[in-house]
Amino acid sequence: MKPVDVATSIVETLPDALCIASLGTAVSALRVASNDGPHYYFGASMGSALATAMGVAEAVPQRTVVALLGDGELLMGASVLWSVGAYQPQNLIAVVLADGRYSITGGQSLSRTTNFAAVAEAIGGIEGRRAKTANELAVLLREPGRPRLIEAEVDEPAWPGPSPFVDPARVRVAFEDNIAGVGTGHVRALTSGQS
Amino acid sequence: MNQRDTEPAGTMTVPTGLDWQAALAEAFIANEISVVSFVPDSRLHGLLEQLEAAEIPLRSLAREEECVAYAAGQRLAGKRPLVVFQSSGLGNSLNALATLAVPSRLGLPIVISMRGSLGEGNPSQLPIGRAVEPILADIGIPSFTMREAAQGAALVDGVCSLAFKARECAAILLAPELGGGRETR
Repeated sequence: MKPVDVATSIVETLPDALCIASLGTAVSALRVASNDGPHYYFGASMGSALATAMGVAEAVPQRTVVALLGDGELLMGASVLWSVGAYQPQNLIAVVLADGRYSITGGQSLSRTTNFAAVAEAIGGIEGRRAKTANELAVLLREPGRPRLIEAEVDEPAWPGPSPFVDPARVRVAFEDNIAGVGTGHVRALTSGQS
Repeated sequence: MNQRDTEPAGTMTVPTGLDWQAALAEAFIANEISVVSFVPDSRLHGLLEQLEAAEIPLRSLAREEECVAYAAGQRLAGKRPLVVFQSSGLGNSLNALATLAVPSRLGLPIVISMRGSLGEGNPSQLPIGRAVEPILADIGIPSFTMREAAQGAALVDGVCSLAFKARECAAILLAPELGGGRETR
């Protein structure tokens, strides 16, 4: 899969979900897949996206919340898996773009294969799964039983396209409106510096 | 100081029910705090215990950065979270404060129990203790030191107004003079 295939599977399978994308590839992929939809795009704060998704999930239990994460991102903040396992928000799904690389910084390899699905299972309180294709991912996204971590195998790590440098003010307001159920369309001028 | 009780937290006995802890708890309850994300600390235990008694959910998270990021998610959903940790954990929290909460104007009230200041007996705590106020100021977070229980209501009202009305992160620093600390242990 390419990162965009993963993001597209998420927005097509769970069109009403609130998505939170970690900085870099995940942001760019979700921008393509959702046509700059009103999701939460991290412009920085590497390692924090899943904790924020957990906060949203507990605050909005009636909506499914999907965290789309780089594998380097989750590695940096991996302690949050123990927190998710402890509090187990039932509406939270983490999808990891598993390409073994820090894509945003030039494609350097992670020091070791992450295998987050097995880690999640070992921690307990989180279901760990792996998906090789977009169809497999869609099936796992629909299955009941959460919180869940799905490691999506990215074997074509192509850069999705749109800039990962987003305007945090526009991102926040659009996402707040999405939670409130208003203004759920395309977010104008999402890239920082656009007008 | 009105120390009513001591209770065990793990293997260490920590003071609870101190007048300043009660003043803070009462004020945060009055400001309708909806959830607390924290990393444990001996001086903060009494505050957290009273907030939990008021049925405010507590989230004991693995590191301070997580506390800030979790609270950021709660703020995006319109909730009124409180972040609580010790000053030695400020460094762990900076990425989420400086590149998420502040630029996105998520407005978080923060309570920081101070180490590395008056009476500190652990040399390893001193540099970060000295740096707390300038670091917070440099990333745009005003901080206000609490030295006696009588300040509690005004400080809590003030940081909650900054956080929830002006959307600015703001911190209360708990000075060692309040007591209940472990600076000399």
